[in-house]
Amino acid sequence: MGRDGRAEGDVMDDSFEISAAETELLDVYERLHAILAEHGEELPPFAQRNAIKALAALWQVANGLGRQPGQVYDVGA
Amino acid sequence: MPDSRYWNPHTETLPLDRLEALQERKLRDLLDWTFARAPWQARRLREGGVEPLSVQTLADLRRIPFLTRADWMAAQEADPPYGPVLTQPPEAAIRYHTTSGTSGGRPLAVLDGAKDWEWIAEMWCYAFWGFGVRPVDTVFFAFGYGTFVGFWGAQYACEKLGALVLPGGNMSTEARVRMLADCDATVVCSTPTYALRMAQEARRLGIDLPGSAVQRLILSGEPAGSIPATKALIEAQWGAKAGDTAGMTELGTVMMFECDHQPGGAHIIEDHYVEEVVDPATGEAVGYGELGERVVTSFGRGFIPVLRYRTGDLVCRVSADRCSCGRGFDVYDGGIRGRADDMKVIRGTNVYPGAVEAIVRRVATWRSSRCACTPPTASATRSRCRWSSPSAATTCWPSSAASWPRRTRACGSAFGAPRRAACRASS
Repeated sequence: MGRDGRAEGDVMDDSFEISAAETELLDVYERLHAILAEHGEELPPFAQRNAIKALAALWQVANGLGRQPGQVYDVGA
Repeated sequence: MPDSRYWNPHTETLPLDRLEALQERKLRDLLDWTFARAPWQARRLREGGVEPLSVQTLADLRRIPFLTRADWMAAQEADPPYGPVLTQPPEAAIRYHTTSGTSGGRPLAVLDGAKDWEWIAEMWCYAFWGFGVRPVDTVFFAFGYGTFVGFWGAQYACEKLGALVLPGGNMSTEARVRMLADCDATVVCSTPTYALRMAQEARRLGIDLPGSAVQRLILSGEPAGSIPATKALIEAQWGAKAGDTAGMTELGTVMMFECDHQPGGAHIIEDHYVEEVVDPATGEAVGYGELGERVVTSFGRGFIPVLRYRTGDLVCRVSADRCSCGRGFDVYDGGIRGRADDMKVIRGTNVYPGAVEAIVRRVATWRSSRCACTPPTASATRSRCRWSSPSAATTCWPSSAASWPRRTRACGSAFGAPRRAACRASS
């Protein structure tokens, strides 16, 4: 049982409301991930490595907003 | 405007049902990731009868077999240097760290990727922000900056939240005390014991710590940060508030922190971990208010999935409403009370070093103490409590372990406030 007394198999909705600005940050995260996945190897080192660092930070935003940012090792983060 | 009292006001104030729903979704994601990319952990799960879809809720968590330090260490020794626990090749990592080695065994080695390392700092941000550290602060780290992960993540957290970092590695205690005073540090990070050592050094140097800029101490690495008498001593000697934190290399970072309401314990970072408390002997869950062993499942580090890890830490979990800060995160009352493997049974009573320290620290004039327990021998069949100081020594013979606290206080009185004390017990 969970602390609120729910039984096995009783799955609940885990979403919560976020602001417009936070939604934009999620979009930036998704776009940055897509850029690195599709073009990461084409970027010069300074651009690729800084973008990876930014993605690692934005992953914390997506995760903290309760989204499912997945794992990002595929693009070096 | 979001509530700036919290690092993440979304998750730190979630109602219980929402918080558990978030944990459950993260738990399912973690299981998926583990089965997909961590063959060693996946094999252990399957051997325990767990399949990806058999864990859907927190109530299902109990189906997952415990992971012990011995399991992990044996796997590492069989397949050095990291063991078969990684989900990624080592070259994908950006950080190498080890456990402190204080358990006496070979340190455990771990790796982290860029996202994991950022997450490690993120966990420390909950702690620093929650205890009132802000971008205007200047934070001094009394830390060695070696392979032990220790305060590494804390330094990166302070950079992230915008504070000025003073790295106090590779320095003598005198140099550290002078630097934090000269640079007007407002926050100091250290172990509780070393906070007392720095205060001692400041007195020798004639530096007035209570009159300095230091307002907060972030403590970690020892249970003493939540032992009331020790904490009061540190706060008095520094003229600053002391906040307890606790973490472990196996997770890479902290999993609990004391907020600035100082509820007498530390909040569990429940949006990133599921913490269980079990009877160390049976592995069965214990309820609120009962002492037991921490078992942790972490949602953070993807490089090394950690599910139901037996930490050996002894804790007493109480409800989030123990604290008035408004967080929905439960509290470990008294922080980490001790280690399951530190417990000694003396005449049928469980005795922990932390409990002895809690008594010893009440004697204001004692600066340090030592406690040693030895197994029964043919020549030593009684509990013995021996105290000594540079000027005096005495021995007490408690009739039972339960009388230790009373006897300890009596011995202290008999001493007339010795400068140093040593406690030795045998049974």
